[in-house]
Amino acid sequence: MSNLTTIISVAAASFAASFVEAVEALTIVLAIGLTRGWRPALTGAAAALAALALIVAALGPLVGRVPIRALQGVVGVLLLLFGLRWLRKAILRSIGIVALHDEDAAFARETRELSEAARRQATGVDWIAAAAAFKAVLLEGIEVVFIVIAVGAARGLVWLASGGALAACAAVAAIGAAIHRPLASVPENALKFVVGVMLSAFGLFWTGESLGVEWPGGDAAILAFAAMFLVVAAALVALLKPKAPAPA
Amino acid sequence: MIGEIVKQLIGLIVDDEFLAAGVLAAVAVAGALAFLGISPTWLAGLMLTLALPAALAFSVLRSVWRARRPNRRG
Repeated sequence: MSNLTTIISVAAASFAASFVEAVEALTIVLAIGLTRGWRPALTGAAAALAALALIVAALGPLVGRVPIRALQGVVGVLLLLFGLRWLRKAILRSIGIVALHDEDAAFARETRELSEAARRQATGVDWIAAAAAFKAVLLEGIEVVFIVIAVGAARGLVWLASGGALAACAAVAAIGAAIHRPLASVPENALKFVVGVMLSAFGLFWTGESLGVEWPGGDAAILAFAAMFLVVAAALVALLKPKAPAPA
Repeated sequence: MIGEIVKQLIGLIVDDEFLAAGVLAAVAVAGALAFLGISPTWLAGLMLTLALPAALAFSVLRSVWRARRPNRRG
């Protein structure tokens, strides 16, 4: 039986992480659709969604057969690697060591590359555009599937995590269809910061549970771990962010 | 294209080798403490709780130090 803390944490982490991934996939599909036509863009995206459905259909039943403690251990370690990687990158972006992810710049780059490819291939089926859409949606989609399984499976809440992910993907697709522009105003680094904190907290909790640790407060320890990672990350940003020069 | 997809999938979990090695080492030590009965399980939990944020901090500090290090070739 899961308590309210777990339910809210799973749904929120799944929604936020999937939102970021869906925005990245949308940027590339939009660039393909606007430069090479919507047919190859949507064909590639639909093929990737079909491939993702096959992956989920193949992996879904396997997840239910793995003993819960082994599942918590594997998922916990993968979440730690995945979440701390996101958090590290968000910290480095906040302090200016790594450039912020810019959806407008990604859109312009993808558009330029596809236009050059179009000049080289004047006729025939636009396999290049379809393959680019397929790869973008498949890669971002695999990340979403991994996040859904990772945050939901260890507590039997895959349905809830799937709902959060589907809601995020539907929201991004609806906004993208309405405005036909990359979602550049989404605070992507702030979202990645929050998602990195949440995934790391889940990872620490489940890795400990797989080792037999009885965390004080039960599932509420997830929130304490999230607070701890948030404080560490915020302290690193405050400590390492270059100071603005004093006005002369 | 498949090779590129596989490479990007590995990149999803391993970006900085130092951080990945730190996480795996912390989990391995905590696992050894818990499963070999060397210590009570709460100590394995405490070890994870301290080691993982420390690994993150060291990885960030290392990246910042490398990025801000003056170029010796001038």
